[in-house]
Amino acid sequence: MSGTSESASTTTPGDQIVRKKGSGRTAAYVVVGVVIVVVIILLAGYYAAGWFKSSSSSSGGTSGCTAPAATTISGAGSTLVAPLMDAWALSYTASTMNYAAVGSGAGISDITGKTVDFGASDAPLNPAQRGAIPSPGVLTIPESIGAAVPIYNLPTVSTTLKFTGQVLAAIYLEDITNWNNSALQAINPGVTLPNAAIVVVHRSDGSGTTFAFSSFLSASNATWKNTLGHATTINWPAGEVGSKGNSGVTATVKTTVDAIGYVDINYALTNSVSFGAVQNPSGNYVVANLTNIASAVKDATATFPSPSGDWYNFTVENSPGAHDYPIATFTYLFVYSDLGVAYSGYTMDKAQNLINLLLWMVGDQTGQGQTFSAANYYVPLSTAAATYDVNAINSITFNGAKITSCVQT
Amino acid sequence: MTRGNPFRAPSSRKRRKVSKWGDRIFLALTAVGAAGVIGILVALVVVLYHGSLPIINALGIKFLYTQTWNPYGNVYGIVPFAIGTLLTSAIALLIAIPLSIGAAIFLTQHAPTWLREPVAQVVQLLAAIPSVVYGFWGLIVLVPIMRYDVDPILANVLGWTGWFSGRHIGLDVLTASVVLSIMTVPTITAISKDSMMAVPRSQKEAAISLGATDWEVTRRAVIPYARGGIIAGVVLGLGRALGETMAVTLVIGNANVIPTSLFSQGQTIASLIANDFFEQETPLELPALLEAALFLLIITLAVNIVARWILARFEAGRAVGAE
Repeated sequence: MSGTSESASTTTPGDQIVRKKGSGRTAAYVVVGVVIVVVIILLAGYYAAGWFKSSSSSSGGTSGCTAPAATTISGAGSTLVAPLMDAWALSYTASTMNYAAVGSGAGISDITGKTVDFGASDAPLNPAQRGAIPSPGVLTIPESIGAAVPIYNLPTVSTTLKFTGQVLAAIYLEDITNWNNSALQAINPGVTLPNAAIVVVHRSDGSGTTFAFSSFLSASNATWKNTLGHATTINWPAGEVGSKGNSGVTATVKTTVDAIGYVDINYALTNSVSFGAVQNPSGNYVVANLTNIASAVKDATATFPSPSGDWYNFTVENSPGAHDYPIATFTYLFVYSDLGVAYSGYTMDKAQNLINLLLWMVGDQTGQGQTFSAANYYVPLSTAAATYDVNAINSITFNGAKITSCVQT
Repeated sequence: MTRGNPFRAPSSRKRRKVSKWGDRIFLALTAVGAAGVIGILVALVVVLYHGSLPIINALGIKFLYTQTWNPYGNVYGIVPFAIGTLLTSAIALLIAIPLSIGAAIFLTQHAPTWLREPVAQVVQLLAAIPSVVYGFWGLIVLVPIMRYDVDPILANVLGWTGWFSGRHIGLDVLTASVVLSIMTVPTITAISKDSMMAVPRSQKEAAISLGATDWEVTRRAVIPYARGGIIAGVVLGLGRALGETMAVTLVIGNANVIPTSLFSQGQTIASLIANDFFEQETPLELPALLEAALFLLIITLAVNIVARWILARFEAGRAVGAE
């Protein structure tokens, strides 16, 4: 037979092996496909790394001084201030700020290991952590303010419940176990409290909110102070429920009837959960809001420790003002006191960029960091704290030399 | 002369030169892949061991039998979490095994063909749901059901056993076990179903011809034959339950103590690590967590090795008795 082409079809029964037509072509398609995918992935990476962005022009005026070339500044730590840090990273254009919300403990480890430029934490360094920081040591710089509020889930109670530090400590110590306990009823006259066992919820992970709450309980109740103390993790009594994160505590309290918990003011304001009033030293029951937390910090009588000193026992709780909220707390940044000595390979430019960023964060001029606080449900720094911070930041040196700052406004 | 001599050996055809190098490169790539997988496992163990050296040096074997976990007092013990892990997994299996094997029996023996595939697919869907979704569903839907409906009945009927004592708030070891059981059902069902479908018809027909009822056919002909696969499925499900983190951490109550009843709050190793990993207060806490992770890894590996061994034993037995 003439004209039988050597095509893919078998021409004889014996030749079982079929030569696939165009098998070479399939391989070519595959190779081209892989190359295209690899190129797309690389392009995406370059785009994310900013290779295609035109060099960021400083859109903020720098009021007559010359800022250094932009660098990347990295920070890590508290998840609590993460929304505020994200807002700052978006608005600050003189440098690129990267913030990793990995938790206060990891933030402290990172700054101890010198892998970040600043660490953020909701609680100050405890003695062990301070001892672990290598020379030249870090400065503690408060950058925002939070507060711990008690939240609860009692569908039958429509009025805002009142709590005192003693009562809260007793609840968390499992001394008060029922909602209609006489102590609770005494401070809430006229409110019908249900006859139900209290489901106590606390944080299962380490947290600055726990630090603030337990500091307050320590100050209110001698038994608490002597047994459990104040720290980011507490050896809670048995029978209580732990939940992970502020969001976990909020979710658990919202879905569990008869539950009580404590969260940061941020979460209480943005979720529809009932939160109670807490009695302050003046005897008034105060429901937390951004204003009375700010006034609490302003009225606090404790003097700031030195920036390189021990902040573990510093507190702005229980302020004397008549309408101050009693469980307010700072959140802190940790920065090395001499950037040239601390880091190898740091340049004066990078040091200037870090100082500029820090000053911007604590500044309250239009467009500066503290003006973003209220919109994100954070309390802006008090004037005294901001002034303290500016002095502390300006004391940071680079190999012993002062760093000239040029803050973006 | 026709094309293609049927008696011509394939190897005598002219080989293209390219394929020899292609084969070699392919072999190299696959070898690298295999080595990489093994390498990752070895690296995991090495990194975990290296990270937990400080606490191994500090506490040694005490870590394995200390019953409290208190970072501030430098007391680290894995016992509460090992018990929590094993207890929740055991109860999860206790609930899941009858459910899954029953489902598999129904699907393979009794369901009409048009029902089998859709139901099997739906069961598979359960496996595709992310575990954090299970956790949230557990927190919002299951916890109130357990707290108000199921736990009172259990306390009334089974309270005398001592396992169901204490106040029940729904966030406890029992609820975590129930969530875990739902998560392991698809694994066990899928593998059991496949094993049972692989039973040769001759086995079943032989049983029927001897006068066996439906249940006896299943019990004596199908299940013994599919035993190996069922056990493998159970062990795979167990492996998943041992390592489950997010679903457990949302409903177990996160109390770092040994649970005294099924209504107590407890903690598993995986959930402990998820909670404490980012906020260590003391220098020894991270090594302790890494050692707990190493412990969990070893348990999971051991469980899988035992599974393979059992499966191999049953496979060998079955090959001997096969038609």
